[in-house]
Amino acid sequence: MTTTNRTFHAVKYRLIPLSAFVVLCLALVPAAWAHHSQSEYDSRKKVEVEGTVSKVEWKSPHAWIHVTVTNDKGEKVNWRFELPSPNTLMRRGWTRDSLKIGDRIKVTGSPARNFPDIGIATTIKDSNGKALFTGVTEIYEPEAESGGAK
Amino acid sequence: MLRTTKRPSQLKSNSPLRSLWPAMLLLVLATPAAVMAQWLNYPTPGIPRLASGAPDLKAPAPRTPDGKPDFSGMWFANVPSRDNCRTGDCIQEERMAREQINIGTKLPGGLPYTEWSKEQMKVRRANGGRDDPHTYCMPPNFPRAWTLPQYMRILQTPGLMVVLHEFNEAYREVHLDGRPLPKNPNPTWNGYSTGHWEGDTLVIETNGIRDDMWLDIQGSPVTESARITERLKRVNFGVMQIEIAVDDPKAYTKPWSVTIEMAVQVDTQMLGEICNDNEQDVKLYKK
Repeated sequence: MTTTNRTFHAVKYRLIPLSAFVVLCLALVPAAWAHHSQSEYDSRKKVEVEGTVSKVEWKSPHAWIHVTVTNDKGEKVNWRFELPSPNTLMRRGWTRDSLKIGDRIKVTGSPARNFPDIGIATTIKDSNGKALFTGVTEIYEPEAESGGAK
Repeated sequence: MLRTTKRPSQLKSNSPLRSLWPAMLLLVLATPAAVMAQWLNYPTPGIPRLASGAPDLKAPAPRTPDGKPDFSGMWFANVPSRDNCRTGDCIQEERMAREQINIGTKLPGGLPYTEWSKEQMKVRRANGGRDDPHTYCMPPNFPRAWTLPQYMRILQTPGLMVVLHEFNEAYREVHLDGRPLPKNPNPTWNGYSTGHWEGDTLVIETNGIRDDMWLDIQGSPVTESARITERLKRVNFGVMQIEIAVDDPKAYTKPWSVTIEMAVQVDTQMLGEICNDNEQDVKLYKK
């Protein structure tokens, strides 16, 4: 588990050991906003990048952001990160203008299993360390009246 | 710029915002819709409310002019929003019906899969979900659609119920005019549904669904041989219960049923979600 001091432009991978059972469960369990199983991402691995927003795709079924990152070799790399659906984010109060091209952000997430420079975001923070796109949908929650198998 | 407006039910009893809620509601009503983010906070008219302005979720189920329970309104699986994203930095909100993963999750012993179904499941699991029609942006097929993480709106008339679904801006018709189920119908994603009343319960019968439908993310099958019965009961204003009974001899060794619960959604709006607008996940799965 390494957290380097290269807080700028660094690309870091961190491996978290999990049992095969948990891995299987995570592969089958989607996020609430997902329309798919998310097994295309390796939840055992973590990726953390810091860079500049180059594009925001505010479209269904999932929003995507593109981040230009300078890697350890000094090369510019374009990372793409999957977000929840725009509808989910809007129900939390975020809009298509919440993130703009040129904004500096730090993204953590899990990388795609089969493709480089693609990931699913779990946290996004702006240059002031403020977390973006977080929160829950504010809803009225009725008490469960029953449920269960018959 | 996270909208921090709290629903009154979520405000502490001593919160000054609680006492101000009626005034806030009036302010919202008086505010031109153009300055709001669509109608995501627009108060739903004509619903029972408490003095605080919050919806009275325990109020009796509304009824239509002919005395039948009225299921009209917006609905989402009645699952509590988790607090892990309320205080943390995470983006992912776990507001999800357990049945979305495994529709038989509450059945002791699980679903009674036939050998054919077990073979299907083996392949579907091995492919990590890439074969899921939902991943490919196919329509939200009922009864699976009740469990998906999008909102639904029921429109009810004496002779016809229509369920609108945010996913792909889809619809489902349930005919309440006494017609029989079709014989040897051309299979479709939602099949053919008729409904009749048993007291205050709306009983929906469905046949004619396609042979390759999934009931959940793990790939539980349902086939053309299925006869599906959904029993809808509006317990009160806030809650609807749906008993889903599946009799599908090709996919299951015996009929089974589960009951799910839906929560009414108010002071919000439907937000269409066209999946193929920008679907990018399918090509990320391992070939």
